[in-house]
Amino acid sequence: MKQLIELDINNRVYEVAVDARDLLLDVIRKKVGLTGTKKGCGEGDCGACTVLIDGKPELACIKLAIACQGKKITTIEGLIQEGGALHPIQQAFVDYGAVQCGFCTPGMILSAKGLLDRNPHPTEYDIKHELSGNICRCTGYKKIIEAVEAAAQVWSKEGVK
Amino acid sequence: MFLNHFEYFAPKAPEETLELVGRLGSKAKILAGGTDLMVVMKAKAISPEYLIDINGVEEFKGIFCEEGKGAVIGTNTKLAEIQFSEAIKAKYPALAYAAGEVGSSQVRHMASLGGNTCNASPAAETPTPLVAMGAKVAVSSLSGDRELPLEEFILGVRKLDLAEGEMLTKFILPEPAQKSACRYAYMGRRDAMEIDCVNMAVNIELANDSETVMEVKLVMGSVYPRPLVSREVPALLIGQKLSDELIEKAAEAAQGEAKPIDDIRASAEYRREIVKVLARRLLKEAYAAAKGV
Repeated sequence: MKQLIELDINNRVYEVAVDARDLLLDVIRKKVGLTGTKKGCGEGDCGACTVLIDGKPELACIKLAIACQGKKITTIEGLIQEGGALHPIQQAFVDYGAVQCGFCTPGMILSAKGLLDRNPHPTEYDIKHELSGNICRCTGYKKIIEAVEAAAQVWSKEGVK
Repeated sequence: MFLNHFEYFAPKAPEETLELVGRLGSKAKILAGGTDLMVVMKAKAISPEYLIDINGVEEFKGIFCEEGKGAVIGTNTKLAEIQFSEAIKAKYPALAYAAGEVGSSQVRHMASLGGNTCNASPAAETPTPLVAMGAKVAVSSLSGDRELPLEEFILGVRKLDLAEGEMLTKFILPEPAQKSACRYAYMGRRDAMEIDCVNMAVNIELANDSETVMEVKLVMGSVYPRPLVSREVPALLIGQKLSDELIEKAAEAAQGEAKPIDDIRASAEYRREIVKVLARRLLKEAYAAAKGV
């Protein structure tokens, strides 16, 4: 039986009809139409579906949509800056060549945001440890780690939100 | 990869939760982080008729840590919260470390301490240090609460000492003794996003001379259906001042007690070797740390 719920995604409230078993990932992609969040393994292992829920990285493929009422959900689309500019983490991923096929990138960037919001001065180990739930099969991780380090520098200089 | 149908409840208070748990019984599953539950439900390994989502119940969350009085941790406290808690890091570093090594950052922000125990996987991370530190659990139902040691609560693979209508509500950690230290270590195929092939915790308490072992508890994970508490290591070490030879003997004793199996993650033979390596390492580390207190 479907019921109407409200989901706050990227500071906009969407009213969606969901079944209790609907997963947040499917609702974001198919009902809300924001396809930046990717579906990888579907088992909570690969991190492609990472979104921020109340600022913390969580896995939308094993999260019930109905359990997200009253929470603030941030997807990759929500990082857009004024005038359509890229978020500093996105910009760093571009600058450092940290994107190849791009499938893991939204999850990587949101995990990195979760980390930098909590710890704006991460060591290389902190970055590796906190991004270990995001799997990339293209670039290797070196450029991704460099991009997050670069974003952290911008972060501490400009205090970006 | 769709879930089967179920009815969803989101209680707001402990009494309301316990009423649902009592009424729906074994047809219901409790949803905390869902990092284990959702995965087995998606695989159709289980199909509960009801889900009781406890994330709206504030009373089941939180770390209450008072100087000299141990700590109480709510069942639905997220592992990331334990990992980053200054109070837990200071008083129970082995627990903070073990919590920080579960799954990934995303998993730790979702998964709860209670779930890591109630999933009753032999390879679970946090029960090992909790048992070593002598943690108790509170199990609640509409008719009241009971407390029991965690090592008696986990009975085997996916088996808990939980009657119909009961749920785990909190962990009660004793205040660490003077001159004591607990340390945790694990081994897996890689460092992240893996399931341990062996994990272990050692808790050592020293006498006033800061050298003689007064109590020692060595707990092994992933080598037995539930956390395995060594009987032989205390028999060998209590009343002794530790030397490399004695530690080697104790590590071999632990190795003899482990009953690992061959599975996808490691062979039994490899696991037995690793038990010895981790036991030797942890006995040394915990002994040195206890001396330093």
